[in-house]
Amino acid sequence: MPALEMKDVRKVYGSGEQAVVALDHVTLTVADDEFVALVGPSGSGKTTLLSIAGGLLRPTEGIVRVGPHRIDEYGPKELTRFRREFVGFVFQGANLVPFLTARENLLVVSELAGADRRHARARADRLLDELGLGGKADRLPAQLSGGERQRVAIGRALMNEPELVLFDEPTSSLDSHLGEQVMQLIRSEVKGRGTAAIVVTHDRRMTHVADRTVEISDGRLVDQGA
Amino acid sequence: MGLTLALGELRRGKLRFTLLTVAVALLVFLVLFQQTLAGTLLGFFTGALENQSAEVLVYGEQARRNVEGSVVPLTAVEEVASVKGVARAALLGEGTFTVRTEVGLRDAVLFGFERAAWGTPLTLSAGRLPRADGEALASAVDAEDGFGLGQRVLVEPGGTPFTVVGLAEDVRFSVLPTLFVPYEGFVAATLAANPDARGVLPSLVAVDPEPGVSSEVLAARITREVAGVEALDRRTAVESLPGVSQVRASFAIILGLGSLVVALVVGFFFLIITVQKAEALALLRAVGSGTWFLLRGLVVQVLIVVGLGVALAALLLLAAASASDASFPISVDPTLLAGTGGAMLALGLVASLASARRILRIDPMAATSRSGAGGLA
Repeated sequence: MPALEMKDVRKVYGSGEQAVVALDHVTLTVADDEFVALVGPSGSGKTTLLSIAGGLLRPTEGIVRVGPHRIDEYGPKELTRFRREFVGFVFQGANLVPFLTARENLLVVSELAGADRRHARARADRLLDELGLGGKADRLPAQLSGGERQRVAIGRALMNEPELVLFDEPTSSLDSHLGEQVMQLIRSEVKGRGTAAIVVTHDRRMTHVADRTVEISDGRLVDQGA
Repeated sequence: MGLTLALGELRRGKLRFTLLTVAVALLVFLVLFQQTLAGTLLGFFTGALENQSAEVLVYGEQARRNVEGSVVPLTAVEEVASVKGVARAALLGEGTFTVRTEVGLRDAVLFGFERAAWGTPLTLSAGRLPRADGEALASAVDAEDGFGLGQRVLVEPGGTPFTVVGLAEDVRFSVLPTLFVPYEGFVAATLAANPDARGVLPSLVAVDPEPGVSSEVLAARITREVAGVEALDRRTAVESLPGVSQVRASFAIILGLGSLVVALVVGFFFLIITVQKAEALALLRAVGSGTWFLLRGLVVQVLIVVGLGVALAALLLLAAASASDASFPISVDPTLLAGTGGAMLALGLVASLASARRILRIDPMAATSRSGAGGLA
């Protein structure tokens, strides 16, 4: 079963003359351990596609399946639960909760899922260790570098062992050297866990680490990659 | 249960949350202190009526519920005693006099009660009730001001002497030292002060109902059946004293304003920090937090901050009570503390509704549209 299956997905913002088509009959399948890079210029619909795949937005038309979940039919509460249990997100910038430490940023998502606190703490520490942040678990985001914050966000995305991890411009605030390191880290983390992932980026230099590169322009997929 | 979020923010924002807690504590202390002050002040106005034994008090009709202006004709006294449901009826005199104590001239209120009858204080704290002419029971709060046990008090003019043989708590009247004396002594003092008077009529009639008869029902019956009098149950008599409702209303306004300030301070504080952390909350919504999870964090923080504020305010009130002067005692009433504390917690929760509304309106999609979401940029 593919990790993500989108069929004829449309997303229209507004109505009538004000209507803006953000996604236009998009069909995309991501295998269960595939690492896909999604590239395109600003305003091409990358983030909209990612948001629909992650249950943040509902499509105007079309079918969206994540594993066995037909999420285009879900209501707001079901989508919230879906995001909590089956998807990991890393948004633009290294978005973390600023008043929680690195460890607490991981723990809060396991708390959301109702996980046992002791086991969650052990898992958070293990993840932070794997991400090279073992000694910095008690630091606040403001006390970490950009790359470190990005790694904490990756750890948070993986905390609840999701079926699909979505990365929105994870390297946009990093220099190219650090960006390359982060992309390699993402690849190694998702491949090591057999998790599917989509990385949205406008920087083509970062796409070589992905299994496949999908290109979007004006809301349409113009190249599905090899 | 949202504790990681709520407690984490409290730990990292110690200064701001401590300042809010202190502000709440000071405001709640003011509310508690004013309530205690109101209780003491009203007790000084009404204590002699509130803490005497008669359940029904009969006034002259023209007095309009004012003890000072009340005169009950002796014929009416006999009629009151014969009303069905009256177990006992006795005379009660009241007047304000200048008295000479060991520490100087003072104004004081004299209540004259019939011996072995009622209308006497229920709150005896030292000594005994007067049994003979020339004996008096004084308000305990004035013991240090020449009204102590064994001290002589002369009612001027005329110099009618009384010796204090007992003290009772909370029996001041009209915020003056108050003496309860046998009725004959009251008459003698009144006549000595006003030698031209041809006699002294009672100010009130103190009545006890028969068992099973309610004081409200009996008071209504006496008023209906006896011409020229108005009978009131004790609680109504206290509430009807001149100035009581005005004082109560004034303090109610002050307390209302104090409570409003508590609500505004708590409400604005949590609204501001909710706006400040809107990006972090959007992030949490995006990664699967339900709104209830975020609301629980808000509720936990409000309860902790306001709860600590109330506890601190209670400590301040205890300190104020222990430092208060014997002439104006401030006592800590646990019921008042619990009631006010509970009300403040409820008020804090109500005040945080604006923040809750803000949280409910957070769109998780906002997490995708801002670089540096979470306040890190």
